[in-house]
Amino acid sequence: MKLCIVGFGAVGGGVLKVISMKREMLKEKYGLDIDVVAVTDRSGAAINPDGLDIELLINTKEKTGKISEYPEYGVPDVKSQKVLEDVDYDCLVEVTPTNIDDGEPAKTHMLSAMNNGKDVVTSNKGPLSLCFSELVNTSKSNKTYFKYEASVGGAMPIINFAHETLAGNNITSVLGILNGTTNYILSRMANEGSSYEQTLNEAQELGIAETDPTQDVEGIDAACKIVILANSVLNRDVTIRDVHMEGISKITPESIELAKKEGFLIKLIGEASYNNLEVSPRLVREGSPFAVDGTLNVATLMTDLADDVTVVGKGAGSIETASAILSDIISIWNARS
Amino acid sequence: MRLNLVLELLDVPGQLLDALDPIGKLGANIVTIIHQRDVKTERGTIPVHLTLEGDEETLKRVLNSIEENNIQIIEVDGVVKKETLTTILIGNIIDQDLKETVRELNSIDGVRVADLNLKMSDKPEKSASRIVIETDYGRKESLIQNIKEFGKSKGFLVINEV
Repeated sequence: MKLCIVGFGAVGGGVLKVISMKREMLKEKYGLDIDVVAVTDRSGAAINPDGLDIELLINTKEKTGKISEYPEYGVPDVKSQKVLEDVDYDCLVEVTPTNIDDGEPAKTHMLSAMNNGKDVVTSNKGPLSLCFSELVNTSKSNKTYFKYEASVGGAMPIINFAHETLAGNNITSVLGILNGTTNYILSRMANEGSSYEQTLNEAQELGIAETDPTQDVEGIDAACKIVILANSVLNRDVTIRDVHMEGISKITPESIELAKKEGFLIKLIGEASYNNLEVSPRLVREGSPFAVDGTLNVATLMTDLADDVTVVGKGAGSIETASAILSDIISIWNARS
Repeated sequence: MRLNLVLELLDVPGQLLDALDPIGKLGANIVTIIHQRDVKTERGTIPVHLTLEGDEETLKRVLNSIEENNIQIIEVDGVVKKETLTTILIGNIIDQDLKETVRELNSIDGVRVADLNLKMSDKPEKSASRIVIETDYGRKESLIQNIKEFGKSKGFLVINEV
């Protein structure tokens, strides 16, 4: 199976590491032999139709920061889109950073891959939360596979879990903590009694929150995931603009203390149902499945047959996210062979 | 959760005991009991007013077992059962008139503010208040919607239960 990996940040690097770690196992267990034929980043690309050396890819990126410096097969300044048009591959792994304004360039990458009959695996929430139905329909009309487990909850299984393991169930709503950064901040505030600003600073120093934390703390990241779940699991046709969003920046230590006295915790909860799309701080019972600490993600799916089913897992991290991408690649391989 | 019941018993010795026996066994608590033998229904039976306390599941089981024992339930809570709802408001509730807030919530049909706690902050707009509301069973969803709209109109951040 020939892969083209577009985007070489934390997730792209994780995918390469995981492929390298699991190479033998994939061959033995699934008969899957992965050739990475192209990897692109902002500097350009590394392209070899016979397969690139994964260790060398990782080393080149770590040492120079530029994939175009890859010995012999590095191509500086080439656009990812051009690479997708010129290189022969089976599956696109789209892991460029999320762009919530127009979903580009990932949207164009995915659509062109689909229109060329290629399968697509992605962790990129931008295009999914802006034009989900366009992507799914394009994939369908070209009879390709389109998988995006890694876009929601990182390693926490939810999308394929809902579609495959819970097949036959009617899923009426999904409720969950879908952003690790805000959960870390709220957990620390609850445990330490510290202020929001103080805790955010700490999270930034630890690298848990980004320098510009807006997407996390204002609920935008969680809202993207709610849109993906609403479309994918509840079959609704909605975009990020349909979500009511309220972040955690107004949460005070006083409010957390009052909640605690009544046996509640304050968590940033995403809710997708047939009549509600919402991300907002909510009260959850101490000791309930939602009372998870740290950067963990958790989601409860309400179903008609299985009743409530709850999953918990690591919502971020390069290897964790790559695990979800690898499972999508394997399931496409299994379906194709 | 509390549940007010009115049962209908025959005026025969042992009837009351038979009716109460399963309640304790199922884990519900009897808060009050009013049993007046001289007040009879038209059919000559005795109405017994009970207030029970327990979680929702236990109370459901109690109701089922009473029905299974062929004891007539005349009334369940006047309107049925009560639920409580906790909500936290962040904002300058003092400025927005505390009394007015409670009055407005109480004016919603079937709603009673049962508890209110305030925690003041250095900055008044960051003050937090926790309100516990009792409502008729089954009204929680629409009440949450009411509180959201109420909070929006007053400029509060509303934190509702999941």
